[in-house]
Amino acid sequence: MLSLIKRYRDLILVAGLLLFPFFTFVTRGPNGREPYLVDKGVLAVSGHVERAFAWVLDGTVSVWRGYAALRGVEAENRALREENQALKARALVQDGLRGENERLRALMAYADKNQGHEVVARVVGVDPSSTRHFVRIDRGESDGVTAGMAVITPDGVAGYVERATSGWADVILITDATHRMGVRDEHTHARAIAAGIGGKADLELRLDYALRKDDLTEGDVIVTSGTDGVYPAGLRVGTLSRVEQRGSGMFRAGSIHPAVDPSKLEEVLVLPKVPVPLPAPAKEPQGTGAPGTGGAGVP
Amino acid sequence: MLVTCVLALLLLSLESVIVHKLGLTVTRIDVTVAIIAFLALRANTLEGAASSFVIGYLLDLTSGRYTGLYTFLGVFLFILGRMVASLVDVRSGFMFALYAMGGDVVHVLLAVLFSWLTAKEAVGAAAILSGLPLQVLLTGVAALALFPLLRRLDRGSDRPQLGTLR
Repeated sequence: MLSLIKRYRDLILVAGLLLFPFFTFVTRGPNGREPYLVDKGVLAVSGHVERAFAWVLDGTVSVWRGYAALRGVEAENRALREENQALKARALVQDGLRGENERLRALMAYADKNQGHEVVARVVGVDPSSTRHFVRIDRGESDGVTAGMAVITPDGVAGYVERATSGWADVILITDATHRMGVRDEHTHARAIAAGIGGKADLELRLDYALRKDDLTEGDVIVTSGTDGVYPAGLRVGTLSRVEQRGSGMFRAGSIHPAVDPSKLEEVLVLPKVPVPLPAPAKEPQGTGAPGTGGAGVP
Repeated sequence: MLVTCVLALLLLSLESVIVHKLGLTVTRIDVTVAIIAFLALRANTLEGAASSFVIGYLLDLTSGRYTGLYTFLGVFLFILGRMVASLVDVRSGFMFALYAMGGDVVHVLLAVLFSWLTAKEAVGAAAILSGLPLQVLLTGVAALALFPLLRRLDRGSDRPQLGTLR
C-alpha cells in the first residue's frame, strides 16, 4: 500500500489539487465562502499593487497628454502656440478636476442630507474574471467600511460591500448574476425584486416577482424598497425598459435599465448599514387564543 | 513557482487597473491562462499543477468571492494543456499565442458551464460568450507579449525532446 502511494505520489497530489477546489465549488456554490486570514493578506497585497499601478498609469497618461498637446506646435508661432497649448492642457486638467469636484459635491450633498457614517471612496480596480461584476474601492475596515454596506453614486445604487480588509473593500455590483435587491416603482409603489443577470455586454437588470395586477409601465423609475436590509428606501435603481404582459399567473417579469453604468464608476459613497426594523411585538390578546393562531384572541 | 505566482498576482492587479481605466465592459484579458499555458509547456507535473492551483486561487480571490471554480479550472487547464502539449510543437511566440487562445476558449466555456450548472438562471451566458472573441484575441496578444518574459523566467527554456512529459 505504502509502495503504491509512493509510486503514485505525484498523481495523488495532482488529483488532490484538482478535486479539493472542485468540491469547494460544488458544496459552496456561486456564493463562495467568507475570506480567511490568508485571503485577506493576499487581498491587502494586491490592493497596494493595484493602487501603485493606478498611480503609475495615471501619471503616464498625464505625461502623454501633455506631450500630445504640445506636439503640433509650429516653429514660427512657437512661443504663442506653446502658451496656447499649455493653457488648453491646463483647461483640460481643470475640466477633469471640475468634473471630479461636481461628482464629489453630489456625493457630499447626499451625505449632508443623510447624516451618518458615509464614506467617500475611489474605485481602483475591477474583477479580472469574465463571469462576475465586482469593483475594488480604496476604503476598508479602518475607514469604517464593513461587509453589507450599500454603495451608491449620485446617479443611483451601485452595489454593496461584499467583503472588506483593513484598507480595501470589494463591492458586488447590482449587475452581478448573484445580486438581488428589493425594489418598487417610484410612482405606483408596486414591489418587485431586481436581479443582476451577469455577463459583460448586457447590463440590464431582471425584474422578478412583480404582481401581475400591479401597475407597471415602461419608462417608470424604479427605486429601492428598503426591505432587503442592505439598501435604504428610495434610492434610484434605474428605469423600467421592458414589462412582460401576461394574461395569467400571479407574477410577471421585466427588465430595468440601471441608472449607474458599472464601467464608469470613479467615486462612490459607502452608506452605513440599514437597521432592519423588527416587527412590533404582538399585543397581549384579551381573549384566550394565542397570537397568530387565528383563534379568539385575534382582533 | 514563487516567481510565477508573484508574476500572476502582479499581472492580475495590472489587468484589474487597465480594464478599469479603459472602461472595458465586454471583455477581460486572461493573463492567468497565458501563464498556465506556459506552465503546461515547461514545468514538471507537480510543480506546474501546484503553481496553477495558486494562480487559480489568486484569480478566484480577486474576482470578488472565493468559490473554488477558478482554482479548479486552473489545475484542470494545466492538465489539459499538458496533454495537448504532447501533440503539438509550441516553440515560437506565435504558436504560444495560439495555444493560449485555445486554452482561453476552454477556460471561458468551462467557467460559463459550471456557473450555469450551479445557478442556471443567474448567469448571462449569452452576454459572456458574445465578448469571447475579443477576450480570446486580447489574451493571445497578452500571451505574445508575455512569452519572452516567461521564457526568461524559465531556466530550462529548451525542450529536450518533443512530446515528452517531464
